[in-house]
Amino acid sequence: MDDEPKLVCFSCKFGWGYLTKQEGLKDASDFLMPVECSGKLDAIHLLKVFKEGADGILILACEEEHCHFQEGNFRTVKMLYLLKEVLQAHGIEKDRVRIALSLDPEGRSIPGRIAQMKKSLMALGPLNRTLL
Amino acid sequence: MAKKPKVAICWLGACGGCDEAIVDLNEGLLDVAEAVSIELWPVAMDFKYDHLAAFGKDEIAVGLVSGHVRNSEHVEVARLLRERCKLIIGLGACACFGGTPGMANLVPREEILDTVYVKAPSVVNPEGRLPQVETPWEGETLHLPEFMNHVYALNQVIEVDYFIPGCSPPPELIHNGIRAVLADDLPPKGSTLAPRKALCETCPRNKTKPMRLEIHGPIRRIHEVEADPETCFLAEGILCMGPATRTGCGETCIRTNIPCRGCFGPTPGVVDPGSRFISSLAALLKVGTTGNPEAVMASIGDPVGYLYRFTHPVSTLGEKRLSETMEETP
Amino acid sequence: MWNTVSKGAAAVERAVKQYLPPCQEQCPINEDIQRTNVLISLLPEDPSAAAPAILEIGDYLYDKNPFFPVCGYVCGLCELECNYHAKGGAIKRRLLKRFISDTYIPYLETREEWTLVKHRENVAIVGGGPAGLMAGYDLSKRGYRVTVFEASDRLGGALWLIPRYRLPERVLASTLEGMVRMVGMDVKLNTRIGQGKWTLDKLKNEGFKAVFIAQGTPTPRTLTFDRNPVDGQDLSGVMYGQTFLYEVSHGNIRPNYFTGKKVLVIGGGNVAFDVARTARRLGGETAIVALECEDKSSRDGIPADVEEIRGAWEEGIRIVYSRGVQKIIGESERMKGVVCPKCTRVYDEKGFNPAFDPADTLVLDGDVLIVTVGQGPDWTALQTEGLVDAHGRLSVDPVTLQSRNRKWAFVGGDLRKIGFMVEAMQDGLVAAESIERHLQERDMTEGRKRVFEVQDIPMRRHYLTEPEVVWIPPEKRMHFQLFERGFTLTEAIEEARRCLSCGPCISCKACVSIGLRDSLNPVEVLTDRCCGCGICVSACFYSAIQLKDVDMGRISVTDAFKCKACGMCVSACPSGARTLGEDPLDAAVITLAAGLQKQVGAGA
Repeated sequence: MDDEPKLVCFSCKFGWGYLTKQEGLKDASDFLMPVECSGKLDAIHLLKVFKEGADGILILACEEEHCHFQEGNFRTVKMLYLLKEVLQAHGIEKDRVRIALSLDPEGRSIPGRIAQMKKSLMALGPLNRTLL
Repeated sequence: MAKKPKVAICWLGACGGCDEAIVDLNEGLLDVAEAVSIELWPVAMDFKYDHLAAFGKDEIAVGLVSGHVRNSEHVEVARLLRERCKLIIGLGACACFGGTPGMANLVPREEILDTVYVKAPSVVNPEGRLPQVETPWEGETLHLPEFMNHVYALNQVIEVDYFIPGCSPPPELIHNGIRAVLADDLPPKGSTLAPRKALCETCPRNKTKPMRLEIHGPIRRIHEVEADPETCFLAEGILCMGPATRTGCGETCIRTNIPCRGCFGPTPGVVDPGSRFISSLAALLKVGTTGNPEAVMASIGDPVGYLYRFTHPVSTLGEKRLSETMEETP
Repeated sequence: MWNTVSKGAAAVERAVKQYLPPCQEQCPINEDIQRTNVLISLLPEDPSAAAPAILEIGDYLYDKNPFFPVCGYVCGLCELECNYHAKGGAIKRRLLKRFISDTYIPYLETREEWTLVKHRENVAIVGGGPAGLMAGYDLSKRGYRVTVFEASDRLGGALWLIPRYRLPERVLASTLEGMVRMVGMDVKLNTRIGQGKWTLDKLKNEGFKAVFIAQGTPTPRTLTFDRNPVDGQDLSGVMYGQTFLYEVSHGNIRPNYFTGKKVLVIGGGNVAFDVARTARRLGGETAIVALECEDKSSRDGIPADVEEIRGAWEEGIRIVYSRGVQKIIGESERMKGVVCPKCTRVYDEKGFNPAFDPADTLVLDGDVLIVTVGQGPDWTALQTEGLVDAHGRLSVDPVTLQSRNRKWAFVGGDLRKIGFMVEAMQDGLVAAESIERHLQERDMTEGRKRVFEVQDIPMRRHYLTEPEVVWIPPEKRMHFQLFERGFTLTEAIEEARRCLSCGPCISCKACVSIGLRDSLNPVEVLTDRCCGCGICVSACFYSAIQLKDVDMGRISVTDAFKCKACGMCVSACPSGARTLGEDPLDAAVITLAAGLQKQVGAGA
């Protein structure tokens, strides 16, 4: 299974899977971490994840207008624009970080989204670590 | 009379600015020269490495080392200094964080050599010859240091006891550092000999910020506008690394109406100030109800250069350690 | 599915001084509006999965407020102060409660009553309206043995006067019956205190150690002009609004009672509109005649709610503004019309002091005159029982509701001060607390006056407009069924999500109660790292952060009450000077990173 891309998924507790047990969500991915708000994630968390071996990051944030903490999701969107520039300069394709802004109380779409992103990561190939 | 403590001042991958800063102690340098015995200072005195190697372990009281580490000579000298000096002080941004040369970490080694020796417009090198570590010449072998894959900060190669940041550090800071060493009045090892807080603490423009600082795009660069000499740069939409940068420089750039570029590196508790500032900028940049976040963020020209200008080698992605055997992970 | 009980980490805290969202501050009983709004927003979209969760929310509301199903139909005080009011429309909290109520009422009807230990004294409640019943409910839960003495043949008091098209009978009846049964209150109907057999002294002799008097205002005010009673109020065809609504609620009025008749309703308050819209539904061609003027923003503006005015107008009721009634015209003992001079002023600095222009008078004819100009208490009973002062006014401490003349008696509700249903309920709660303090001989006033500061609306780029309220078209409304459509589950979730949770965490804790978060430690500032750059101020959507100049320089300070522990400022701080205490995120990322490394190592 070393071919399988390592995808780290951060999911917002207030928008994704709050009607299921959080432990159940972890079945969808070895590396799924629920957080209270996507806005709590700072750039260092995400960069560290890439540095330590991830091939991609998927952030599951709340729908536009519906962040429980007003605009944490929008803050993350802004942060990602800069983060992707930094990643690109290091030879990491911008498409390796994605953010989905939606509402999925049962978390049903999570395994599908993770699988889909892993497919995209496979197409990109392994992460070029020359500059890391 | 007690023997004068020995001091070594050495430059690795350096521009000479930090040595210049020591010279800028002016009359203070005379006091220093009185109190210590300078045993090595390549830029100013004619000692050789053999002279350094001849000392016993820890015989030199303090080594002030500037410059980053990028070739095998840097590594060798750094390790030698560590062996011979009781205390090593990393002097300047390059030693402390890798400095501006750290930006080279974004370009593969081969590309650097290719550009410099083959492709640069003013170079004529039709055979594409590159410098070699060993070159036979007239029956002998000439040696050049190996140009490594990566720019390292000093403490990623040897253990560093204290840090004096800045590009270049203000002479007073260096003077205070030396005095503290001589008086044996030093904070715990690993400390930076500079104030603990970020630049806004001492910046004369801090109080001109509005109650709630908001930057509405587009971001402007200092040469594109006429910046008001008294207002906080961020408040005018000009990027300034002050909030993410340690203070102690005396705001020399601010006072000449240039925003801070971060040469004093991170504050205590932060390792990667560039990445921290990404989240800060995301909070500060307001897009408005109809604005386009992408356009606003895109107005920051060269975010990578701006954020990591002095600190790339200690940043989250750029961070690397040199192993004992000097083997680098490709 | 959830543990909505307010216990442990999820306990909603009381402090003598605290911030509240404006809706909760406005609510006379400070209901946990924010908490329940958040819980509604997190309901599943599937109705069968949502049903048990809705009941849990209902149970949570019921514990503090057994009248909540009725509130969902008749009370919207909180909406008047909602921060969203100026940004797109107040959150439709009343409809959200109605939504919960509709699922809750059938469950309440069969819910098993609580087994409460009643080891404390006997307390008498005089008056089975909202004030009295609320006091009785609260005292019963505290362990007192409560007996409710109600003069009429049913509990509920003035609530029965609310027309059916606003409050369905089943909701009211089940609510009243439910609360009596849940806490085990003893009820004596058809028993009037303060007259004849039953006096306060008799209650004392019967072993009641305290009494709460909340008999309401059963006496309609008569029509006066220039401080004199208007002649003709005894003519046939003249009645009082209160009595009329009372008869309607008892089912004594047949559906076409006013068909072919012209009905004039005198009065400008909500009750007058209730009367007019009821008369209209009984077939009458109806007009309202009010002293007040149309401009609600002026001091003399008509007091009725905007929705009532709109509803009345849609239903074809004519509203005649700025007119008084000087004389009732009669013929053969029957009401024929009224003489209405122009009212030029209703209030002045001294208060109610109407002035008229006799030169501008019109005559309105009608067959029925319904006078709805207010109601008052039964003064004789109050006097007989010695509850008034030398000037004949009710003598009650306004903070503790204790009678100044008889220390074991407490007075509240409309009897003390005319107000809304929930204000009467508040009096009931205050009286219950006072009674307990009195019986335990504790200080009566300490901690009673609670001061709340109101939280502003959080900042965001976009605010959403309120949903449209759906009413049946007016021509189809001529019956006593509800004309307002309530929320579906999806609509309720969406509207609850629009609520911005303005209030502080300590008065909410919805997320903790359902396990979304473990704790709500406010942010700590490491003052040895904070340089006062102010980026955190900009990062906070709740205006919880300020910069302060202290000895060591300028630093940022977080108001612990306003902080939502969301972490926006923590991620935005360039010096890493803010922390959420033992926030697991950093540790979790490190663990996750270690896991990644192991995998990379294994693959290599």
